[in-house]
Amino acid sequence: MEVYEVFRQEREGEPMRHAGNVLAPDRELATHYAREFYSRRQESIRLWVVPRAAIEQVDDPDLLQPPLDRSFKKPAGYVIKDKLDAARVRGRMP
Amino acid sequence: MGSGFEIRGSEWPRISPRTPNPLASGYPEPRTAFAELLLTLADDEFVLGFWDSEWTGIAPMLEEDVAFSSLAQDEIGHARVLYELLAELIGDTADHIAYGRQPAEYRHARLMDHPRTDWAFSIARRFLYDTADAARLAVLAHSLDAPLAGIVGKIRREETYHRMHMEAWMQRLAAAGGAAHERLSNALETLWPDALTIFTALDGEEELLNVGILPEPLLGIQQHWLGAIAPLLQSLALPFPFRESGSGHYAPTFPLTMDSGRTAHSDDFRWLWNEFTMVYRAEPGAEW
Repeated sequence: MEVYEVFRQEREGEPMRHAGNVLAPDRELATHYAREFYSRRQESIRLWVVPRAAIEQVDDPDLLQPPLDRSFKKPAGYVIKDKLDAARVRGRMP
Repeated sequence: MGSGFEIRGSEWPRISPRTPNPLASGYPEPRTAFAELLLTLADDEFVLGFWDSEWTGIAPMLEEDVAFSSLAQDEIGHARVLYELLAELIGDTADHIAYGRQPAEYRHARLMDHPRTDWAFSIARRFLYDTADAARLAVLAHSLDAPLAGIVGKIRREETYHRMHMEAWMQRLAAAGGAAHERLSNALETLWPDALTIFTALDGEEELLNVGILPEPLLGIQQHWLGAIAPLLQSLALPFPFRESGSGHYAPTFPLTMDSGRTAHSDDFRWLWNEFTMVYRAEPGAEW
């Protein structure tokens, strides 16, 4: 038995969102169970069924949560409100 | 399932049997025979739905528990739309037809007179039923009764998944060998004669054929069904007790039951009837 992660799309053009997972003995039954759990009430138009083993996990805090100050990489310190207001005036936008 | 079931093209005009059919000479009143046809279709679905719902909570694994219960609910949903069509025809209500009859008045095939039994047995029965029903629905999709043809079109789309799921289980139980293959084989041996009663000729079938409500005789549909499932069963070394003649006709190698198989029901069915009518009988006529 293997865990399969299921992603679903509600409407055309929307992103695939994680729905949950199912436990199944093989890929074919995994697609059947994904259908039963995540779309039997017409709530999805598309499913992706992915063996959890096929997912590369990245959770190393040294990669994702570097300890030193990174504020210079964030846009917060760069105030654009005045520039935006000036641009609106130039473009006579409301 | 292939195109073998496409007996008459969908370009045929849709003519309701409630209005005279210009294609038939001397329009007969097929109402009684039509009611009988609808009742057999609906009761097959209804009773199988209740038997399979007996697995809720105790199927082999949680995911399958949900899946199998969902299939059972689908069948009861299919029965509902068929009972509604019948209710309109005979001036009754779907609930009253479904729950207000005595056990002897149900018209399901003898295949549905067996209890749930074990998992292989329930899979074998559902495989036989879903594939037989697919052959029957493929023909009824061309019924000249427009409301029936419309309902059948929708039911067929749902049955596609049922067949996929049953084939997946047949393949896995057969491939597992040992006790799984043996139980599946034994179940099929037991069920084959009763499965054939799905296609017992109906009283008044000739009238239904004349007006195009039933585009092909039930016994003819039975042959399509046998031809469709023979390759899978033979490839899985599972019982398929028929002799094929040169013309592609399958004849059973076991004695046929002498009655219709749709009237005298088993004690197991009477037990199930008691279960599924219990609430209805507690307060007949109550509004739900």
